[in-house]
Amino acid sequence: MLEVNKVSFRYPGVTTGWQFGFSVAPGQCVAVHGASGTGKSTLLNLIAGFLKPDAGSICWQGQAIHGLPPWQRPVSSVFQDHNLFEHLNVATNIGLGLHPGMKLTNDQKNLIEHNLDRTGLSGFSDRMPGELSGGQRQRIALVRAISRRQPILLLDEPMTGLDPEARHALRNLLLEEKARGSSLVLASHDEEDRKILADHVWNL
Amino acid sequence: MHKLPPKAPFSHRNWQLMPGVVLGLGLIALVLLGLGSLLVMAGQLDIGSVWRSPYLRGVVVFTLWQAALSVGLSLLFALPVALALARFSQFAGRSLLLRLMELSLVLPSIVAVSGIIGVYGRQGWLTSLISSWFPDHDWNLYGVSGILLAHVFFNAPLAARVLLQALETVPAPQLRIASQLGLRGWWLWRGVQWPAVRPILPGLAALVFTLCFTSFAIIMTLGGGPAATTLEVAIYQALRFEFDFAQAALLAVIQLMICGSLWWLAFRNRMQGSLMPSRRFGHPILLRSSRPQRWLGAALLGVFFVFLALPLLAVVLRGLPALVPTTGSSMLYSQLLPATARSLLIAVPAGVGAVLGALITVAAARKAHGRLVMAIPTITSYLPLVVPPLVLGTGLFLLLRPSLGDTAQGWALVSFINGLMALPFVVQVLRGPFADLDRSSLRIADQLGVLGWYRWRWLYWPLMRRPIALGLAYGIALSMGDFGVIALFGSPGQPTLPVLMYQQLSSYRVSDAAGTGLWLLSLLVLIFVVLSAVGRPVHSGQAARVQSPIGEPRHA
Repeated sequence: MLEVNKVSFRYPGVTTGWQFGFSVAPGQCVAVHGASGTGKSTLLNLIAGFLKPDAGSICWQGQAIHGLPPWQRPVSSVFQDHNLFEHLNVATNIGLGLHPGMKLTNDQKNLIEHNLDRTGLSGFSDRMPGELSGGQRQRIALVRAISRRQPILLLDEPMTGLDPEARHALRNLLLEEKARGSSLVLASHDEEDRKILADHVWNL
Repeated sequence: MHKLPPKAPFSHRNWQLMPGVVLGLGLIALVLLGLGSLLVMAGQLDIGSVWRSPYLRGVVVFTLWQAALSVGLSLLFALPVALALARFSQFAGRSLLLRLMELSLVLPSIVAVSGIIGVYGRQGWLTSLISSWFPDHDWNLYGVSGILLAHVFFNAPLAARVLLQALETVPAPQLRIASQLGLRGWWLWRGVQWPAVRPILPGLAALVFTLCFTSFAIIMTLGGGPAATTLEVAIYQALRFEFDFAQAALLAVIQLMICGSLWWLAFRNRMQGSLMPSRRFGHPILLRSSRPQRWLGAALLGVFFVFLALPLLAVVLRGLPALVPTTGSSMLYSQLLPATARSLLIAVPAGVGAVLGALITVAAARKAHGRLVMAIPTITSYLPLVVPPLVLGTGLFLLLRPSLGDTAQGWALVSFINGLMALPFVVQVLRGPFADLDRSSLRIADQLGVLGWYRWRWLYWPLMRRPIALGLAYGIALSMGDFGVIALFGSPGQPTLPVLMYQQLSSYRVSDAAGTGLWLLSLLVLIFVVLSAVGRPVHSGQAARVQSPIGEPRHA
């Protein structure tokens, strides 16, 4: 269970801040809904550890994680864009999620190929991100996030700007992850995304 | 609880911060020690004595005067050139001209001087041409005119590149608006160009002033007697011929005070913009220009091109017969080859050291928090510009003197100081690419645990390979061209290439000197070619993509 308890945050030099509080059970998806500027990305960055909360606690399975650095948190993030390292090929981009120094076992290498196959991207491992379409790039970002097998997935507008086909493919991947027991936090403008993926909608 | 990514080696923050801090503190300590040992030797410091001695007073006044004039002339030349280059972004030969301007940063001053002599000297091309028309002219390269000419030759291209870079930071929409409004002339300058140029002018002027103020080889070769001597040369003479450490220390302190206060004035607020030319240029926007303006621009750029190319051409044309004699074999190589070996022996470690120092400085600058700690990498990247290398060298020499004896140790000292002198330039080359990883990439890297060694190996190294190779080339080139520190610590019997060339020039073996100059020049070109080939990524297509990540909306 991911619990966000009275987490408050204020950007330096800004008078008004935010307070967040909700929880997500394993296998559930919470959609965070609100106009831009209402703090959706801020919330996801707080959970991921890219920002430090002023007060409150973030817990996973009863243990506080808000003091941990990003690399020790049980989360994987997918942003709207800039998810991939542009100078590294697809296999390396995914591989760094499995081992941060690319020391991969054969099983892990096979897993990368398998996951690329599963998402309709077989044969893409040597491509550079610059050669791919937006939908393909997002699928690769998601493959990396999923391959890491962290229990929490943070999705910040992951499907914004993609064509219907790519959206469909990404939604199916996310539904599979849910079924596997991951907790999803989804920030999305899209009504349909929320309807298909979310168990709860939380309005900011 | 949950699976943690494997820990990356050297991922503690201090691994990135501490080496740079240690280097910076070491450098500061070194400067203080160097100056301190001079001061101790000097006994007491009496600045008033400088004003009582007409010779020293003359030296100080001349140094200031020629540096100020050089700054004025260089900027006067550079600004219209930069404006013309910014305005006319598509003409044949533009990139050749830019390359030529780049060369001035690494061209050894002694080689350039020999080329300048070949054009403007007594028997020079241009002088002969003018003499045939006006037999009564009294042009003399040796003295102030030659010094100014050489300083403009070196600094106008540098300044023009930095100014061009500033002009190209004008946001594209602003230029489009200006273009739409048909802004021209005064209003274009007032509204668009001047605001872009103004912030970097003080720093640029300070940089050019410092380079001219501490100029050594040019004064040694073109300066004529005590009437045209700078502080740096006076320090050299005091150390080498008069063994007057007190005077050297005194002059060094004066030089430090003048340059230091100038930099303090220029950067009181903070460092603005980049003072070193980078190789990245933006997208050109067409501005309206009238026909006379186009002609004027073309003429200006043409003159500038000839001004830069002629001395180089002189080096090549005069050097070729010496290197490739038509009859018999050249005796020159028996001197050239050992000198080349010595030069490389000094320059390669200096270049490698400068790159390593620059890398840890740039890394520390990124990790540093707090005013005091942040100041240290900044000092590292500018202090060597202000401290006269001769002073630093002498201080260290005095400090190490009991144990410092043989030639090898002298060379090590020269190599070390050359590396330090190259540090500011290499830092500038590496700083931009190092900042290229955007915030979201860094966040992703944090989340994946790509830290420490892994971050360097997978994220920075592929991005920085080329800049590192370029920085290495700069470092090696600057050290190979050094004729200052080596003049003080090298022995005349075992010259490096620039020293050999100076010896040939001063014993009027002009054609030998030209051959040595061409040899040195070709060596530098070779170093740049080889290192840029080595730095190129394995997949040739990859380079293009790295430079234009698709994520950046360039056309938005």
